[in-house]
Amino acid sequence: MSGRAPIMKEDDALYANVGRLTRQLHDALRELGYDRDLESAVGSLPDARSRLSYISRLTGEAAEKVLNGVDETKLELAKLSTGAIEMAEALRSDPVSAVASGKLMGFLGEVGQSASRADAQLTDIMLAQDFHDLTGQVIRKVVTLAQSLETQLVQLLIASTPNDDADSAVASAQLIAPVAVSADTTAQCPSTDNLDGPVVSADGRSDVVTDQAQVDNLLESLGF
Amino acid sequence: MSNENMKFLIVDDFSTMRRIVRNILKEIGFGNAEEAEDGQAALSKLKGGNFNFVVSDINMPNMNGFELLKSIRADNELKGLPVLMVTAEARKEDIVSAAQWGASGYIVKPFTKATLEEKVQKILDKQAK
Repeated sequence: MSGRAPIMKEDDALYANVGRLTRQLHDALRELGYDRDLESAVGSLPDARSRLSYISRLTGEAAEKVLNGVDETKLELAKLSTGAIEMAEALRSDPVSAVASGKLMGFLGEVGQSASRADAQLTDIMLAQDFHDLTGQVIRKVVTLAQSLETQLVQLLIASTPNDDADSAVASAQLIAPVAVSADTTAQCPSTDNLDGPVVSADGRSDVVTDQAQVDNLLESLGF
Repeated sequence: MSNENMKFLIVDDFSTMRRIVRNILKEIGFGNAEEAEDGQAALSKLKGGNFNFVVSDINMPNMNGFELLKSIRADNELKGLPVLMVTAEARKEDIVSAAQWGASGYIVKPFTKATLEEKVQKILDKQAK
């Protein structure tokens, strides 16, 4: 017991020092205004999370639509292929009966309908590619958020680095910065900042429309 | 003028979306279309380009769709052109602004072939009156 007392005293002193340094750092950050920057950087993370979830959902839905469309189109083609083989066989064995019974005309009608359905599926598959545009716009926003977070963290790193290490901190920051700048594709268009892009979540929002019918109603109410 | 001869300009910064709109226009009988990647490129194509219809995105770099719309309406040569906005911008204030600045129609993405067909036809019918 008697041997542990000095160690506890040393621990207490260490903790007190760490506490004092933390307080000093906190005060310095507040004085420099970085606490607000950090707060806003942290505040932007849930937004980035919900945008990434939106991207994940949209890409998943697009993949499903394409795979479903391919499945259905393949079924149509398989039916056509089987029907063509049967029709050829019928024409070979008894061409008069194949025509007179209406089998040939029936098959030709089916070919036309089947081709229309396959065409509609292909249009759906094409439209499903709109996810590239919608997610691309959201990805740009996330890149901007990540860049802002990075800039604020770099500023914090420089501000909290002791003078002796400041040069290397600045050098590290300079190494990081060019990557961030090259990833930013929206910086040259400030007016685009005022635009929201796709609505990631319309829950609880009355300032946005969620489908084309609402757009039409709104425009109609304005006399357009 | 027949549908086949009508010349469309599709303006969108995403090539995938330009392609989708172009393909749908072709499917509904408007096979004559050119593309521009933003408002600025669109404006220089429109000048003297003999276009009959513009389908434009809003959120684009360099010159966005609102700025393009305003430039078209302010230009003596171009001001009568139908401009259909096809965009992901779903805020009511943006839709109202587009209408006030003279958009001929407004479609929110994602959209269907039927919607694009209906809006294009509605604008053309209105123009023919």
